[in-house]
This record gives sequence, C-alpha cells and structure tokens, in this order.
Amino acid sequence: MPEQVTTQTISPDLKFVKDIIASGGESLKKCYQCSTCTVVCNVTPDNNPFPRKEMMYAQWGMKDKLISNPDIWLCHQCSDCTAYCPRGAKPGEVIGALRNLAIQHYSPTPLAKMVGDPKYLLMLFAVPVLLFLAYIVPKGFLDISAIPRGEDGGIVYSKFIPIFPAIDVTFGAVAFFAAVCFVLGIKRYWTDLSAGVKVQGNLMDSIKATIIDIITHKKFEKCNVTKDRKTAHLLVFYSFVGLTITTTLAVVYLYGFGYESPYPLYNPLKIIGNISALALLYGITLVVGNRLKNAEKAGKGSYFDWLFITVIAAVAVTGMGAQLFRLADIAILAYPTYFAHLVFVFFLFAYAPFSKMAHMVYRTTAMVFAKHTKRD
Amino acid sequence: MDKKLGLYICTGCSIGESINVEKLSNIAKNALRIPVVKSHFALCGNEGVELIKNDIKNEGVNTVVIAACSLRVKYEEFDFPGCIVERVPVRELAVWSQETPEDKQLAAEDYVKIHVIKAQKGDIPEPYVIETVKAILVIGGGIAGMTAALQSANAGYQVFLVEKEPQLGGFVNKLYKAVPTAVGEYSEPLIVDPTIDKVIKEVESNPNIKVYKSAKVEKTEGQPGAYDVTISSNAAGSENSEVIKIGTIVLAAGWRPYDATKLEHLGYGVSKDVVTNIELEEIAKKNNGKILRPSDGKEAKKVAFIQCAGQRDPNHLPYCSAMCCTGSLKQAKYVTQNKDATAMILYKDIRTPGRLEYYYKAAQNDPGVMMTKGEVTGVADAGNGNLHVEMENSLLGKKVKIEADLVVLATGVVPATIDDPILNLQYRQGPGLPDLELYDGFADSNFICFQYETRRTGIYAAGCVRQPMSMAEAQEDATGAALKAIQAAEHIAKGIAVHPRSWDETYPDPFMQRCTSCKRCTEECPFGAIDEDEKGTPYFKPNRCRRCATCMGACPERIISFKDYHVDLIGSMIKNVSVPDDEDKPRIIVLACENDAYPAIDTVALQHGKIDPAVRIIQIRCLGSVNLVWLADAFSRGVDGMLLMGCKHGENYQCHFAKGSELASYRLGKVQETLGRLQLEAERVAMIQLAMDEYDKVPKMISDFVDRVKEIGPNPFKGF
Repeated sequence: MPEQVTTQTISPDLKFVKDIIASGGESLKKCYQCSTCTVVCNVTPDNNPFPRKEMMYAQWGMKDKLISNPDIWLCHQCSDCTAYCPRGAKPGEVIGALRNLAIQHYSPTPLAKMVGDPKYLLMLFAVPVLLFLAYIVPKGFLDISAIPRGEDGGIVYSKFIPIFPAIDVTFGAVAFFAAVCFVLGIKRYWTDLSAGVKVQGNLMDSIKATIIDIITHKKFEKCNVTKDRKTAHLLVFYSFVGLTITTTLAVVYLYGFGYESPYPLYNPLKIIGNISALALLYGITLVVGNRLKNAEKAGKGSYFDWLFITVIAAVAVTGMGAQLFRLADIAILAYPTYFAHLVFVFFLFAYAPFSKMAHMVYRTTAMVFAKHTKRD
Repeated sequence: MDKKLGLYICTGCSIGESINVEKLSNIAKNALRIPVVKSHFALCGNEGVELIKNDIKNEGVNTVVIAACSLRVKYEEFDFPGCIVERVPVRELAVWSQETPEDKQLAAEDYVKIHVIKAQKGDIPEPYVIETVKAILVIGGGIAGMTAALQSANAGYQVFLVEKEPQLGGFVNKLYKAVPTAVGEYSEPLIVDPTIDKVIKEVESNPNIKVYKSAKVEKTEGQPGAYDVTISSNAAGSENSEVIKIGTIVLAAGWRPYDATKLEHLGYGVSKDVVTNIELEEIAKKNNGKILRPSDGKEAKKVAFIQCAGQRDPNHLPYCSAMCCTGSLKQAKYVTQNKDATAMILYKDIRTPGRLEYYYKAAQNDPGVMMTKGEVTGVADAGNGNLHVEMENSLLGKKVKIEADLVVLATGVVPATIDDPILNLQYRQGPGLPDLELYDGFADSNFICFQYETRRTGIYAAGCVRQPMSMAEAQEDATGAALKAIQAAEHIAKGIAVHPRSWDETYPDPFMQRCTSCKRCTEECPFGAIDEDEKGTPYFKPNRCRRCATCMGACPERIISFKDYHVDLIGSMIKNVSVPDDEDKPRIIVLACENDAYPAIDTVALQHGKIDPAVRIIQIRCLGSVNLVWLADAFSRGVDGMLLMGCKHGENYQCHFAKGSELASYRLGKVQETLGRLQLEAERVAMIQLAMDEYDKVPKMISDFVDRVKEIGPNPFKGF
C-alpha cells in the first residue's frame, strides 16, 4: 500500500464495524493499537506490515481500505498475533472476519450473505434436499425395499438416483454456476486490487511462484502457535486433488467406455478415490483437533469457518459411509447416507463462491497480485 | 532548672569491646564533672532502664545523657518524662562507622563531650498553649469540600463550610451523568445518574456542619487554633458578614475549565459546533441526553472529541488534567446512546489510571466509540455544514481529516488558586499560599509524606485545587486533608508542632529587647509565622510555626531560641569538638539535617559503612537554622572545614521545611565571600544536597570533601 502523502478524509462506517463483529471479529474493539501483532507476525511483509493497520481500519469501519486489501489474504491465520495480543483483541479472528466479508462483498449474488448467516442454514440445505427428493419420491423410493437391486443383488446407487440426469446434470449445472460466480467475483476483485496500482514484473512468473507456494504450503511453515496446521491443510488440499482425479476418471469411464459404477475396490479409480477419502477424513479430523486444541490461544473461529469445516467433514464421512454400507449391504443405512452425501456435496460446490471454500480462489488471486506488485 | 546530670554508657552492641569505657567514664567524671556516671551491658533492657529510673528517683538525676545508640532507635525505652534526655550515638558514629580502635575511642570521647554540653545548655520545653478552638473551616462545597466536611463532622468536630455558589455540589451539578462506582470491572450501563444530591442532603442535615452559600472568605486573621475568619455571604440578596473562630482549614476551592476562547486554532469561537467538554454536559443535560448541535439543533451523529485541548501544551496548560480521558469516554457513551452515532476520540495518550483502565476497556468495547492516536492540528469547515478535524501522524494516516458534525474540546483544569488567594490570610507574607507557580498555580506541595500540607500551618488543600483529579480521588484527598486538619487542631490545642516535628513542644522564643527589626526572620520564615506590629517589629505567631528554626539561622542578632535548640547550644557543641594538633589530621564538622541527611548517615553506620575519622557530625533541625556565627566559631577554633548536609532545594525541593536548604545555600554564598576576605579559602565550606535513599553515597561524599580540605591544607588559625 502506498504511503499516505495526500490528506485523506475519514468518515467512519459504523455499520461495517458491526458487520465485522457479527462475522467473527467480536474482539475487534479491544485493540489499543500497541502493534504487538505486527511484531510477532512472520507472514507479513516488512514494509507497511499487517495486522495493526487492518485492526485500526476495522475499528473505524474503513471498508474501502479493507475489502480490496490483498493483505487480508496474505494473512494465513497462524494466530501468532492472537496468541500474543495483550488485550485479547484476536487480530487473526478479525482478519478472518474481514475475509468472510470480502467473500460476501465480491459475491455477485446475495447467497453470500445467507451462507454467512446461521438463520438461512436450513433454507440452504433445503435446496438440495428437495431437489433430490424430487427424484426419489415419485418413484416411491422413500420405501427402501422398493429400490431395485443390481444384477448380483447388491446395492447400486445409480438405481436409487440415476447418474444421468439426476447426478450429472445437477452437478454439471452447479459447477457451471459456481464457476460463473467465481469469475464474476474475481473480476471485480482484480479491478479493485489493481485500481491505481502500478504492476511490476511478469504476471506468469507471479502465477508460477504462487502455485509453488500453494503446492508446497510454504507460508504455513512460518506459523508458530498453530504449527500443526500445515499437515492438516496439506492433507485436505491434496485429498481434494485426489478426489478431483477420481471424479474425472469416473466421467471418462462412464462416457468414454460406458463402464458403469460400482467399480471393484482394486480398480485404480477406487484406489485413488479411497486413499483421497481417507486422507480427507484424517486431514479434516486434524483440522478440527487443531482448532479445538488452539482455541484458547487462536480463538474459537467464526460460524463461517465451522460451517465449511463441518460440510467437508460431512462429505468425507457420508462418502465413506455410503461405500461401507453398500459393501456391507445394510440398505437401511446405505441409501440415507448416500442421499446425505449428495446433499453435502451439493452444498459444498453450489455455495463454494460464497462460503469459506472461496478462500481458495481469493487467496490465490491476492497472492498473485501481491507477487505481481512486489508486495510479497 | 537546676540540672543534675547522669551519664549512662551502654557496653552492649560491641561498644564495650571497642571503647575503653573506663577511660570514657573518667573523662566524664573528672573533666566534664558529671556527678553520676554508670555503665551497663544492656541499657535498653529492663535492668538498664530501671538503673536510670532509680537514679532519677533516688539520686535526683534530671538530665539523662545516654551514650549508646542513635536517637532514631530505642526512643520508647529511653523516655523519661520530666527529664532532659540526650542521646549520644556512640554505637553508630564511634563504634560502627570508625575503623581503628584509636579513631573509635577519640570519636566516642568527642561525641560524649559535645552531647553533654548540649544537655547542659538545653532546657525542658514548655508548650505554647493559648485558648484554641478545634472547629474546622472547609472552603468549597464541591465533592471534595463536602467529603472533608462530613469526615470532620462525623469525627465529632464542628465544621463551617463556605461555598461561593448558591447551592452545594460544585462541578458535579453541571454533569448530565457520572461514571459509575464499580466494585470489580465496569459493565453497562457506563453512565449513571450523579449521586451528589445524597451527599448534599447529608451535609445540610448534619448538625455539626454549618453551611454558608453564596459566600466567601473575606479575611483570615490570627493563627491556627485561633483564627478569626470573616465570612461574607450574599444569601437572598442581602449582604451578611460574620466572624467565626476557626482552628484549622481545609482548602477545597476546586477548579474551573481552561478558557476555550484561547483555543481558536481548534475552532472554538469560529464554529458554533465546536464546544467544550463542560458545554457538552450542559447540552446533554438540557436535552435529556440528546446531543443536539448548537448551530442547527440537529442531533449530532459524528462527534469528534479532541483530547488534551490546550493541555500538555507549553502555550496553554503544560500539565495533564487527569479527568478528561475518563470524561470523554463517558461522554462518548452519551453520543452512542443513539445507536447510529459514532464518537471519535482523538488522543495523544489515553490516561485512565488504576481501575479506570477497566472503564476505558468497557467504553472502548462499544462499536460506536472509535479512537485513534495522533496530533490534532486544527479544525476547519468541511463545506457541507460539518467540520474537518485535521490530524497529523495519526495511526489512520500521516495526514488525515476526520469528518465530524460536532467537535468537543477536552479542555483542562485550572485551579481556583490561579488568580485568587481565596484564604485572604492577614499574613505579613501575603494573602494566599506562597510559590504556587511551582505547581502551575495549584495549591500543591512537595512535602513527601503528606501531600495535603501547605506552606501555611493548619491549612490543608484537597481536591482539584491541589491537583487535577477524579471525583473518587478528590474524596480520598478530602478525607486525608480532613484527618490532617483534625490532627493539627489537636496538636495546636496541646502546644505541639505539626509535621514534620510532630512531637515538638518547643517554639521560637525571641529575646525582643535586642531585636533591630531587620525583618530577615519575617521575610525568610517558610511558613509566614512572623508578622510585624505597627512599628515594624517582628511579632511571632507560634501556632503558625513548624519549628524549623530558619528564623534562628536568619537572625544576625542571634536572639531567636528554642528551649532545646539555640545558637549558643549548637555553637558550644562546635566549639568543644576536639581539634588535633597534628597538621596531617584535619578536623571537619558536618552539620546534618535531621530529616534526610542525618538518617542517611545513621543508615551508613547501621550497615557498618565507614565514615572518615576527620569528621564530627552534629544533627540540626534544618539547614535553614544554620546561623553563620557557627562557621566563625568553628574556624576560629582551628576546624579545617565545614560541611552542610541537607535536603534538595530548587524546583523539585525535598526540604521538609520547603525553603530551609535553599536559604542555607543562599546564605552560604555570602559567607564564602567573607571567608575569602579573611584569607580563608571559600572551599572550606561546602553544602551537599541529598535524599535519604542516597545513603550509600554518603561515605564518599564526606571523604571527597575531606580530601579537598586536605589539599587546601590546615586552617591557619589552628593553635591560636
């Protein structure tokens, strides 16, 4: 951020202050600007460092200075600042809340507000639940015994809810919707980021460097208080990569070779899928464990955070459960678990641009921008 | 009185092993002709004390000289009513602080000799007792004054309370809300109704308190215990004047806000929407909590508070007014009673000491209360009916403008004593308290132990007239001052001095026939104790006196004496210190002030630190009591140097009598010229200022001086 040379007029936005407090920054007002946070932060650039200035801007409701500020994404919420804050102002949590608000701000739909607010939770879940019920109710599948079995008499989920159109059309549309929302959001974000800033260097180089940062999780190594987060996040990240490969393979199998699920466990697709699922389960368990362990030092996290964690955990548990119940032929558990799995996967992807999932995209963009402007 | 001396030498605490007690006894019996000389291995024990008591009863001993330990210890054991008791600190000054057996013996002999002379020259004090009253006058009916009045009245004293306004309550009357009194941490609501009405009712219904409203002190004549105070009041339009008898006084005249018209750079007087913190209270009070702008009557939603407005600023008030940070936090809560409004506090530092830190935290937690540190440089018109507060070096940016629809200046506290003596004392030295410019006009003091003390005995200051402070602090202050006023009234009734010589029954007794009316004593008395009659002759008011004996030091005729302290008494001690014939062995006399210097020396001895054998130490009341004739006495006897050790003087003086050490230093400047004319080196006399906690430096201070004197060489008058 450039030095303030011209006189800037400040008119505080009280509503924004209250929004930050409501989005997980409830300790915001306790800050008395001592700058301990900035001193202990290992992630911040040396020049014009964070998070003190963000705390100040946040206390004064200076939305313009925060929403498009790449620094809030350079923060990896190590929570070193929160642990050392003498006033319990939890800068890590406040910056987290600011990221939530930034996601909401750049979201092209009002869905973001709803994802961030617990009172809409049921409504958000109602969408996939009703959608999938629409497939099974007319067929009388609420009565589990009415669901047809496979040739070998085993449970076949595609006979419960058909792959086409129920799964593929639905999720194809969901993916398209999410992608469009991401593109629109990022476009606006990039415009705000680059307003009045002179970019330096090669954009491709910045992107390359960012990808290296992400695949190595290098930034996480700078954290002190929440050191263990690197392993947890790395597992979750790579399990998502694995699950993406699994899904791609499934598409290839079905539409390339007409090979329908279920696949035997020794099939490469199943091997990759199961390893990824186990990694996800273990990774997300570590995430929850770390958060609980560090809650005293790092803060308890916002609703926004916990919703995201819970949905990922639910995706992993219901996915694994659906497979196990199918293999064990426990129909009474298998079908509802599979149904739940579809609902959670829908939730995760349809609302990705509005939930914490969006950090993947915004943080990457901010990191590229920061490298591009030699901020990082 | 006919004296019969008894010398009692203690041989305990290694005195017996270090000193030839038999030799010492023989000197006392033969050379000093003391009729009763005894020694005991533990004089302070029952047996030892009984030995002395027995001699008092059966041998007629009435002047007891105890050659044992310092007078700062065992004073309860060695208390013999009706007798002169003189303590010779043989243990400290001869045994513990001297190195060689010869030095110890010589010092013991010297100290016994001079203290015997002191006992011979002194007399038993007879207290100055006149007809006195113990009624307490409280000036000021604010929270401090009312607290002082209630505390004194509840302790059983008659109180007269004088308030200049038509009602009691002082500044609290102007407040819309007050800061709550919290037991633990502060919690909402952070603004509560002031409870001053309850206090006012309590004061007005107390049978021991007589309240004068719309009143002022016209004149305060006389001395503590017997003041005649003229009070004029303007109640119900008719002028009344009354003279009341008063013992002691609590000055709680309070404060007024700094004149904001001097703060034009902050927009005061330029824009109607720039108001002071007091004016904001009035706005809130008038509109029942709504903060309406003076310019258009609209409700203010963006209120900027400029802290330290004209404070901590050499061009205005150089000090911090202590109450404005808490005050602005409180007023910020007035603003945020409107949930859409923001209160922006712009500060240099937030100062909320003690438990008020919790108040700060609680107020800060309100989303509408925003704060930033920086330097406010001005207030300008924003062009849209609002104002821009311009700020530099702020945390929000190097140069920022903050938009506000109302600006509140946290102006500071100016003491009532800044331009009004208030007490209207009929003292020769003037109607008010002296030298208040040292405290920016506040009736404060540098008295270390009792902050309520003033330089007018029997008058104690409390509340914001003494220092800027919060209401809670003012109540504490008032309680302390009331206690001091009661103590002073009681002491004065018995003819005993007050702090710091709060045991002393002596008082200055001038031999007026020889007075030349030079007025040095009247001018130099730190407490204004000496007036003049119509002919210009000094006239002592002993109840105003603190017994520092500065007058005794000032008097060129040497006519001012106390029963146990006078020019001849100390002069005789000086003249009887041994002066070695050996030119390599200088003799130096140290005159040590009893308040810090002597206790510091005592502490050195207590820790077995060594003091140069060349010196002999004589304890005096204050360096202000040093009469220059003592220097002549010493040098004419061949003493090689004189060292005066006393308290720090100047702006941050620690002199327990305020001016004593300063006067000594001034007088010394004169005597050094005189020494020069006598062909005696001016450097033979020096003065050292020290505080009690510098005791560890004392041995070096002394030996450095001894070395300097050795360099100069022996006193040419030696042996004459």
